[in-house]
Amino acid sequence: MMLPNFKKHLIEKGGLSEEEFTQIEPFITTKNVDKGEFILKQGDVCSHFFFVEQGLLRFYALNEDGKENILQFATENWIVSDRGSVYFKAPSTYYIDAFEATTVVMIDETFIDQVSELNPNFRKQNERLLQNHIRQLYKRISQLLGVSAKTRYLDFVAMYPDIMLRVPQWMIASYLGITPESLSRVRKALAEENFNPYKTS
Amino acid sequence: MKTRRIEKVTQPGTPHFVGDGFRVHNFIPGTSTMKRMDPFIMLDYNSKYHFPATDRPKGVGVHPHRGFETVTIAYKGRVEHGDSAGGGGIIGEGDVQWMTAASGVLHKEFHETEWSKTGGEFQMVQLWVNLPAKDKMSPPKYQAIANADITKVALPNGDGEVEVIAGSYKDTKGAASTFSPINMYNVKLKKDAKTELTFPKHYTTALLMVEGDATINGETSVPQDHFAMFSNDAETFTVEALNDTVILVLSGEPLNEPIAAHGPFVMNTQEELIEAFQDFNTGKFGYLED
Repeated sequence: MMLPNFKKHLIEKGGLSEEEFTQIEPFITTKNVDKGEFILKQGDVCSHFFFVEQGLLRFYALNEDGKENILQFATENWIVSDRGSVYFKAPSTYYIDAFEATTVVMIDETFIDQVSELNPNFRKQNERLLQNHIRQLYKRISQLLGVSAKTRYLDFVAMYPDIMLRVPQWMIASYLGITPESLSRVRKALAEENFNPYKTS
Repeated sequence: MKTRRIEKVTQPGTPHFVGDGFRVHNFIPGTSTMKRMDPFIMLDYNSKYHFPATDRPKGVGVHPHRGFETVTIAYKGRVEHGDSAGGGGIIGEGDVQWMTAASGVLHKEFHETEWSKTGGEFQMVQLWVNLPAKDKMSPPKYQAIANADITKVALPNGDGEVEVIAGSYKDTKGAASTFSPINMYNVKLKKDAKTELTFPKHYTTALLMVEGDATINGETSVPQDHFAMFSNDAETFTVEALNDTVILVLSGEPLNEPIAAHGPFVMNTQEELIEAFQDFNTGKFGYLED
């Protein structure tokens, strides 16, 4: 199976050489996930990190009313997982499902060990990814606590440029922690600020 | 005289739904490429399909376009359209809606509310016409072309008529204004009638059998709902109707510019595509209620 995105990820973000990638290729496991199919459910112990080669996954919790609170979208080149469940081997309180037919690369401890043995630098790179992830989470929490819906929206679309065309607005509102009506208001205000159909430049 | 030969006849493939209101066969790019079909970059054909009555009109919700024009030709049924630049209206049998998305609009298209209540037979073509690089960022524009405003040229001997949607047929000009040389006709030929069509050799030329069956150049049969693509070896081809026919004929001068396409954006470079996503996300396409 051709995995151009994962190959690029291992080489550019993981520090592997082309040759090392060829050596590790036989150990790569993938899974095709249908739209609507779960790869993690509440109560499961999560044993993998999921790299999205192609498609779109959602990582979410159900609130007390049974509504989805979306923690993360994972489009091409994103990694998603319940890291706590993986590390502590504890049952997850989250769900991960596919919103589009998705090809995921299944990364587990064994695979990480194999790659690290081949190239010791990989573990360091992996650590760096984790630290970056934590940094993003801090930012996300602080934004949820104290930044305007407009700024949150603009940061979000800068991070996920094509997501507006891939998921319904209510899901984006769920991620941003605002109502769909507020999201509409934000987008309407941006359009009033920025839309000029008769500009000629 | 040399005849323009048929390069390929394509049968309608497995249909797919665009939104829930358009059940289409894709012919462009289909089994070809945008480059080969230049300046026609997409053609979806909703062959005759019966939509049942409903109180909730079916269609496609708000979505953006940039860099090209969308042309909707209604054969059966009625469609209502609205866009963020203020364009909109209803088109019915024989009408054409020509929307120049250019620098970018949001639009939505649904079966007309009243028509939806009774439902019925639905048949339409949606075509995307690429814009020259210099016009891709020009202001959006909307041309509603009612059937009554489309010039019709009667063929000799009561053989039928040619509706000139765009470009020109012999000396008659079409109703739509275009950014590059394009001819677009509905050729309506009576059973057993025969006619010749001539376009510059280098123009990308194709036809879609909307109604009936025909024989091209006396040798190739093109049945109903099939799409025929012509080679660029000569200017003229002949069409002979085996029954009463309606044929959509397209012929346009290739733009011969690079194409960078992603979903609803068709630009010349990757950078322009990224800019399109940014502009769409930050409201530069305007706002339209769902």
